[in-house]
Amino acid sequence: MNDTTPSPPTAPGKFDPKAAKQISDWAHDAKLLCCRVDPTGKYVVAGAIDYTIQRWEIATGNKTPLVGHENWVRMLGFSPDGSTLYSGAYDGRMIAWDITAQSPKPQRTIQTHQGWLRGLAVSHDGQRIATCGNDMLVKIWSTADGKLIQEMQGHPYLPYCVQFVPGSYDLVSGDIMGLVIQWSAEGGTKVREFDAREIANHVGDRAPFGGIVNMTFSPDKKRLTVTGLHKCSNAPAGNRRAVAMSFDWASGEKLPKQECNQKEIDATMWRAVYHPSGTMIGVIEKEIGFWEGGNIDTMHLAATPEHIFDCDLHPNQIDLYTAHFDGHVRCLRCGTV
Amino acid sequence: MTLEQYKPCGTLDHGIGRRQFMGEFLTGLGAVAGTSLFSHPLGATEIAQKNKSVVVIYLNGGISQFESWDPKSDLETGGPFKSIPTTVPGIHISELLPYTAKQIHHMALVRSISTDLDDHGLANNIVRSGRTTRTATEYPELGAVVAKGLERDDFPLPGHIRTMVGGSGGRTNNAAYLGPRYASVSVGAEKGGIVNTQLPDGMTVTADNRRHDWRRFINNRHRAKVQSTELDAYTQCFEQALRLMEKRELFDIAHESKAIQEAYGTSEFGKQLLLARRLVEQEVPFVEISHDGWDFHHNNFEFHYHYVADFDRPFAHFVDDLHQRGLLERTLVIVMTEFGRTPKINAGYGRDHYPNAWSIAMAGCGIQHGAVIGKTDAKGIEVADRKVDHRHLFHTYLQAVGIDSSGEFEIGGRKFPIADPAYGPIEELLA
Repeated sequence: MNDTTPSPPTAPGKFDPKAAKQISDWAHDAKLLCCRVDPTGKYVVAGAIDYTIQRWEIATGNKTPLVGHENWVRMLGFSPDGSTLYSGAYDGRMIAWDITAQSPKPQRTIQTHQGWLRGLAVSHDGQRIATCGNDMLVKIWSTADGKLIQEMQGHPYLPYCVQFVPGSYDLVSGDIMGLVIQWSAEGGTKVREFDAREIANHVGDRAPFGGIVNMTFSPDKKRLTVTGLHKCSNAPAGNRRAVAMSFDWASGEKLPKQECNQKEIDATMWRAVYHPSGTMIGVIEKEIGFWEGGNIDTMHLAATPEHIFDCDLHPNQIDLYTAHFDGHVRCLRCGTV
Repeated sequence: MTLEQYKPCGTLDHGIGRRQFMGEFLTGLGAVAGTSLFSHPLGATEIAQKNKSVVVIYLNGGISQFESWDPKSDLETGGPFKSIPTTVPGIHISELLPYTAKQIHHMALVRSISTDLDDHGLANNIVRSGRTTRTATEYPELGAVVAKGLERDDFPLPGHIRTMVGGSGGRTNNAAYLGPRYASVSVGAEKGGIVNTQLPDGMTVTADNRRHDWRRFINNRHRAKVQSTELDAYTQCFEQALRLMEKRELFDIAHESKAIQEAYGTSEFGKQLLLARRLVEQEVPFVEISHDGWDFHHNNFEFHYHYVADFDRPFAHFVDDLHQRGLLERTLVIVMTEFGRTPKINAGYGRDHYPNAWSIAMAGCGIQHGAVIGKTDAKGIEVADRKVDHRHLFHTYLQAVGIDSSGEFEIGGRKFPIADPAYGPIEELLA
């Protein structure tokens, strides 16, 4: 085991992707599917295929399991104050956890969907949770009492992910065939659609492949970025390229796609996050790609030892935590602190 | 020479009609087969009257046993899908098969197959032929063997049919020494039946008959002088094509009611199953449906989520429909594939080829309903009980429809065991 413990940065540093280096490596004994860093910067949590969530205290590397799900844990999200973790799993459940507890237990469990829960997002004020799942529905929940506020249907194919529009209860949801729907906070009505079918494929008449696996907004809120795959030459063999596709939020106009041309990698971009500088950070198999200012190709690739399925920026905006296929959570320090 | 005088030569089927064939291996080969003569109280004619059929649903590429017939829920090797109970107490299958779970009382599962080839082409060959080819000899596939073994006198249709959607794909060389008479004929399920089976504009039936009469006359005049298996093959193809033209409406599922078509669904697979049912009704000995693309080295769980759903409902309806119509009593349905998939989940969340421990399913006649043969260990890595392979299965398929798999074909004076003589059927699976 390569457990090392980083010194948490105490003041804003200089973001420099080309200086990225691994500073911590914490292991779990099951494959990891997702990770998030709490907004206070105290913990990183990861969802695993052994149905657990693992919490690491960043200062010490101490690991604590959160047990409550009954299937693969696929999505995680924090309340803005960092006190509550919301987890979503293939058991169709969302669980709220007091993440500050010494041994967190489920505080509230909600059966959100029939079949897998695939997407989960927390609103800017922590009052609402959005989820989507295999029942083809997008749902809004109250964090105060756990009650269903709104249920939306309109995706012709499986919705994969949801995201709140920054500063709003409006919502976007993206599906397996590349359709993005913006939903109004009032009444859950459809506001508009975005066409991202270029990042979806269909294998015969049986199985869609690809689609929108992640959505995020740029820091200036001018771009909606969706990620996934394109250039698929053999879906069952996994021959495809990672891609991010953005839309001008005001006009809905498509912006140039962002991909990795400096290296040929069969990958899906499972997650992209924006640095406050506007640099997009995306996972590409075992690499972390950095795109500056909407450029179509990466300005830098940082290698990691294993396949990455999720990543999240520490509040210091320098440390990037990654969840890996080998069960490890690693931290890549992208600059100086 | 007139049409009535024309008698197609039996060269290619080596002069052995089905009844003769059945009689030979049930009597003449009784000594070879030990007690086989006495273990089949029915005579060859009676077996022929049963008019059995075999339908193979071939899941091309290798379906995952974990996501179908042998789930290992809540284990790392098992993936994210749960197991569900079925209509047979104690038998659980993947939650991806909720409709099939309601038909398990008509079915049997074999969960302990272990073969040693993980190449698609080679594995495909061994599961279809029931042999492990180590010599130059090519062996006929199951369809050809069944077509010969269950051959009906004066049967107007091919005995070995592969269905496809949207057209006709001709014949495939999969009958080996049995000859092209028993090779598969590919037919479509749509567009008014088989394509290119209507006379072209301007061609009358009378004129068409006259040209065929002329062809037959020339062929037979030549045939009287020259022994030619090639000519026989061509002649047979022509005559079979004519019979297919006469029966083309049989291949058009549009003749089924809207309700029946809807019950089978609008997928390619559902349409082929409906066509298969129509062919079984016509007592076609062997029908194969291919459901392609199961080779999920990447994204195994998402793909199985969709693919198994595409399979489940139409398949379950097919089994139920055969049962409701009384056809399941004389039809063996085999859900075949070439190997399983690895217990280990790879970094693309796929599963790779795995011949060590995998499963198939069967339904219908000649087998113990609700049976589960063998088992794998807790994680599905190795066979833990009653290891069998493609050779045992091949014997079992044949025995289930009344063909004595311990018999031999006599081809041109040479004897060929019908199935690998070093192996036998899975006795406890047979009804």
